[in-house]
Amino acid sequence: MMRIAWERAAELADYQDEPKQMASAVVGKNGYLRLGFERRGASTALIDLERRAPLFVHKAIYWDEAMPTLPCVFLITTTGGILQGDRFHTVVELAPETQAHLTTQSGTQIHSMDANYAAQSQEITLGDHAYLEYLPEPIFPHAHARFFTHTRVSIAPTATLLYAETLMPGRKYHKGGELFAYDLFSSTVQVARPDGQPLLTEKYVVEPEQQTLRQAGQMREFDVFGNVLLLTPKVHADAIFAQTPASYDRQAGVAAGASRLPNDAGLIYKVLGRESQPVVAKIREFWAIVRQTVVGAPIMPKFLWR
Amino acid sequence: MHITEAMRVLQFGDSMLPVGSFSFSNGLESAIQLGLVSDVKSLHEFVLTVTQQTAGVDGVALLEAHRAARADDMDRILRADACLLQRKLNEEMRLMTTRMGKKLAEMGIRILQSSLLTQWLAAINRGATPGAYPIGQGLLFADLGLAEEAAFAVHQYGVASMVLGAALRLMKVDHLETQSILFDVNTRAASDFERCSRARLEDMAAFAPELDILAAVHVKAHVRMFMN
Repeated sequence: MMRIAWERAAELADYQDEPKQMASAVVGKNGYLRLGFERRGASTALIDLERRAPLFVHKAIYWDEAMPTLPCVFLITTTGGILQGDRFHTVVELAPETQAHLTTQSGTQIHSMDANYAAQSQEITLGDHAYLEYLPEPIFPHAHARFFTHTRVSIAPTATLLYAETLMPGRKYHKGGELFAYDLFSSTVQVARPDGQPLLTEKYVVEPEQQTLRQAGQMREFDVFGNVLLLTPKVHADAIFAQTPASYDRQAGVAAGASRLPNDAGLIYKVLGRESQPVVAKIREFWAIVRQTVVGAPIMPKFLWR
Repeated sequence: MHITEAMRVLQFGDSMLPVGSFSFSNGLESAIQLGLVSDVKSLHEFVLTVTQQTAGVDGVALLEAHRAARADDMDRILRADACLLQRKLNEEMRLMTTRMGKKLAEMGIRILQSSLLTQWLAAINRGATPGAYPIGQGLLFADLGLAEEAAFAVHQYGVASMVLGAALRLMKVDHLETQSILFDVNTRAASDFERCSRARLEDMAAFAPELDILAAVHVKAHVRMFMN
């Protein structure tokens, strides 16, 4: 039974009212997705698949020319985004010696809310020598959106997870511009070894109304925040760290840098940008270094239409 | 407050306390090198962000350690210590807190023969716990019979004075200006305490991506006066 992380979250206390439309967590608002990857010959296959609306996936596609045995899966919400009262659970399991790539087809829209909140919990398990790239498109929290996400990762010491979250300030060019007009974005990632030994936790809570986001040290003049977690054996982390420069370029409007995680868990790579494009480009650069170092393969050129 | 208590708070909140805080700048060195902090206004903002963010993580762990120490619960103390380090995602930030934590424990044992600090230092020395500074402060203040508010205040004061001490050595700012900043930052500590005193360890949270990037920039910097 999955622990429901949002029931204890203090930052959601003010958003417990029920929507006038469908109630929270009812059928159609209680999404579930379970993706179990297993080894089949030289390839990885999506063997175990369970899905409940509004979460949805098609079958895995092998589109990556440099890694032809890598199953790639689009994570889809059939409602076209995230709505108030939505509760999503996603379970991803990679058996030993498997590889997978998860992404979304487009940006995730977290729609405006006037009651309640939306929440998701994710459980990601990686067996020995497993390799997962979880690189969704950016997240757009609209005006008064409240979103809570909690991810638990269990990772074998020989496995690698590259996990990125790109947070937009809202619909920057919608009408007069919707910058940091959302109510709450709360994100937690908790990482442990399969035997339960905790490695790290990151929790960040953004409440634009109650914070001074433009203050030095926080977002300053930047609008887009990329947060990339790389869990990988120390030998890879050291090699990737050496190849990843830290930079702060005010003219180009982008700053980025990697830090070594506690307990030799890997690296965390943070990116700030005035626009999404340079942030996405930095994350791609980092992804290319990671894949080359860990797998020995290049990444695909960016799709023309994405 | 009893006069002896006030004296204890002054002593353990003093920037002269030999725990090595003068070697650290909490990211200020990189911020100045990049021109992000260049005057009193930007320094003021920087110190505010650092203290607010520290309150939400270190401050929460400190209060938990203080409460655990009053309940004489070493397991709970070690859990707070481990949880805090698991949330320090930059190596130089971990170095700062563990180096200062150990020095505080050694000093505390020497001057007040604290049994909790002795147990905690033994755990640090055998690698069983990281030894984060705010945990040590929580134990020390509990042992002295001082309230958690005092421990929190001294911690927040220490963070602000560390950054301002570094500023005096790194940029064009005088002692009167840094004192004005400190005075204002200290005024806000009460609301930070209000926010943190109800938080549990799992609520520890921060949001300061620019500080995180500055910490990363510092690790890679060639010219460095400070250790973070």
